Order: sequence, then structure tokens, then C-alpha cells
Amino acid sequence: MEADVLIVGAGPAGISAALTAEKFGAKVILIDESFSPGGQLRQQTQYFSNLPTGYAPDIGLKVIETLIKHLYASSVQVYTNHTMIGAYKNGMIGVTDGNKTFPILARANILAPGAQEEAKIFPGWTLPGVMTAGAAQILINRESVLPGKRAVMIGTNNFAFTVAKQLHDCGVTIEAFIEEKSQITCSDGILRDELKHVPVWTESTVQIAQGTGQVERVSVHTPEGRKEIDVDLICISNGFTPILEPFVIMDCELTYKKHLGGWVPLYNEKLQTTNPSCFIAGNAAGITDLGPILLTGEIAAISALEEIGILNSEEAEIERRKRWLELEKLENTAVCQARKNLIASSRSRQSPLTKSK
Amino acid sequence: MQIHIHPVLGEKFTEEVTFYFNNKPLKAKKGQTVAAALMANGIRNLGTSRKFLQPRGLYCATGRCMSCFVTINGVEHVLSCMTLVDEGMKVFPSNEDPDPGSEINGS
Repeated sequence: MEADVLIVGAGPAGISAALTAEKFGAKVILIDESFSPGGQLRQQTQYFSNLPTGYAPDIGLKVIETLIKHLYASSVQVYTNHTMIGAYKNGMIGVTDGNKTFPILARANILAPGAQEEAKIFPGWTLPGVMTAGAAQILINRESVLPGKRAVMIGTNNFAFTVAKQLHDCGVTIEAFIEEKSQITCSDGILRDELKHVPVWTESTVQIAQGTGQVERVSVHTPEGRKEIDVDLICISNGFTPILEPFVIMDCELTYKKHLGGWVPLYNEKLQTTNPSCFIAGNAAGITDLGPILLTGEIAAISALEEIGILNSEEAEIERRKRWLELEKLENTAVCQARKNLIASSRSRQSPLTKSK
Repeated sequence: MQIHIHPVLGEKFTEEVTFYFNNKPLKAKKGQTVAAALMANGIRNLGTSRKFLQPRGLYCATGRCMSCFVTINGVEHVLSCMTLVDEGMKVFPSNEDPDPGSEINGS
């Protein structure tokens, strides 16, 4: 199988990259390990504004529905249920559908694997009924299944409140938020207000989750002493971190940037990693919001097409510049600054983008 | 429990399928994953950990944590959160090490 550009990951970044590359005339293959494209936007029922030019503000799953419609109307070859599992010596990416494993020969690759949720470890965290906030959100909004009736949410970040609100709207009782810090970290005042009936236990940690075969109660250490509560669902919202395996497989250098979510592949202003054939897009390039995620997809596609000669450097520079300016406007200041620092550090490397073997 | 009318999405799935867990027939909606279909039927315990023999269930729902392995139609260690349920599907909990040499597991 051959293409100009292979894109790994069909979430918002990957689809945005695919549509951009196709628009400029490239032959594109887009793979994703899930049974359908859309990534984690498939279960976002909250509203997204602050989107790039050309996007109408809407709830997440409508935004992705529109993108998927464009994707299937385009010439992009989409392979769902296909997972990147390795690289061949000549740089080709190896893919499997569970039955056959085969190489895809592309002149450039865009890796957009997204983010994963950070775990939170306490005794009993492996019991059925303990799950990430993202898993609970998938169950209610993508699968139409209730994960439980009485829940606690560990963490008070924006995502914790977003999912708690959506669980509440589906009829799940949120008994409490458990926060180890001294105050709520959610910056969304409206969301906090909508859930003001839910107690927030600050400076508190889970001592143990217990139950026979599944979670039945949770003990929490709070400043007022130990609190024990009957629950059948414990959600963990401990932030996101970039997914790195595809970059490790492709021998890309990593660096640590706290404001981008931790370890992240090193890249330059072209979103090119230290492996010149691999470009990066989406949350893998730093945990951010939907607007910047879509724009990094476009930037990575433009740079990939420049790399393989479909766009010349002047055209590419103009198109890229336009999108970086928009990204700067849409992105959270601390995240954007961390991204600039990362790009600056890639520039100051002794031999940029050619890793010495 | 199934959410029949979702507050934002309304009725998302319409077609019903029958599948089996430990040979017991269960109903699910076409389009749901096996993990979700089991949870809709109140089944959250999907297997047993090898070392401490503890119960395991759905944790990340995105195919990364490997906590939701089950046996589907004879194939062991299948991610129930990444596999769509199908009419007549036979699902068993993952209680033992897989037998990678067996023909069905692809030797």
C-alpha cells in the first residue's frame, strides 16, 4: 500500500490533516485503531466555540460529524480497525487489522495518536467500577450506557466537571468531588455553578475502594476525618498526557514540558519531529483545546507536503504562517508559550532534525 | 443499564441484537461495544488478574489499559472496549492466560 502521506490517528487532528493534504492534491491514507473515525470527539456533548476559521461552533460530536462527512466525500483512503504496530528498517510503518499485518509506504507520515488519561493509584483502583472520567463519558455519550448510579469524581479539573455534569444529566448521582489540592481547579465558573449542589472535599485523598467483585464503597481521607460512602462508580480525572508509542517506534526524540502534558516529542515550527519523515499533530504535540488541535493538523499537513515537494517552500511558509497566527489567538497562553519554548529548543539543537546514529 | 433517551442525543441506537456471556443470552444495541453491552446488562466484572486473582473491568475504554480483555467467539484476549457487539456473539470472561499456540489465536 502506497501514499504520499500516511496519517496515523483519525481524531480531529488526523482528519484535519488528511483533508488539508488532500485539498493540496496529495494521495492520503488515514488509519485508526478504532471501529470508526472521530477519536475522542465522538463522545463530547459539550459546546466548543473558539474554533478556527471555517468551523461553526457546536457540540463536539457535531463538529466531528461534519468533518467525517467531508472525509468520506474526499479521496482520502480511510482504514478503521487498523493499528500501527511497528516500523520496518526502511522507515515504512507496519499496520495490522488483527488478521493481516502489512507495510504502508508513504513519502511522509503524520502521527496524531492523541492523548491518554493519567491514572490515579489507590488501593482498590483496579476494581470494576473504577474508571477514568473519559471512560464514563464514552459510556454515556457514545454507548448510551449508564456506568453506575452513585458516583464520586476524583479531581476537580475542567474535564472532571464536564463529565460530572454530563453524568448528572443522565441521572447519575454525583456524591462528591475528591480533590487533593486546597481548592477546585476547574476554571469554568458556569460549570462550577451548575454543580454547586455537589460537595467538594478538598485536601482529600482516596484511602481505599472496596467491594466484592466490583466497587461498592469508597473511604476518603479528609481534613475532617475519614469519610465512607456507598458508590458503584469512581471516576478518575487526573489530566491528560500525550501518547508517545508511535514516536518511540519512529525513533523521534522526546522532551519534557509540564505545560504540554509531560513528555512530548520534540518538533520545530513545521511540526516536524526529529525523524524528518514524521510530522506531529493534535494533543500528541501538547495537550490543548480543539481549535489548536485542528490547526496543528493543517500545519502538519502543509509541512509534510512541503517535505515531499507537493508544495514549494514559499507557498508552505505563507499557509503555515497564517495558521500559526490563528493558533496563537486561540490557544491558552501558558500552553502556547510552552509550545514556543519547545520549538525554540528544537532550533537550538546542534544538528536540527537529523538524529546522529 | 441502557440509556434509552439520552438528554442530548435522544434515542441513539435502535436495532437490538442478542449475544451470550457465559452462554447466557443478553440483549444489546447494535453499534455498542462488547464492554458497554455487558455493562448495560449489569456485568462489570470481565475477568480475573493472573497474579492476585482480582476482578478486572473496563477502565479506560480506549483500548490502552488492557483491563477489559475477554474471549470472543473462541479468540482469547480481545479488547471488549474496542470490539462491536454482534448478533450471536459468544463472550466469556478472561480468567486464564491465553494459549497463543492454539489455531484460533493465530499460531
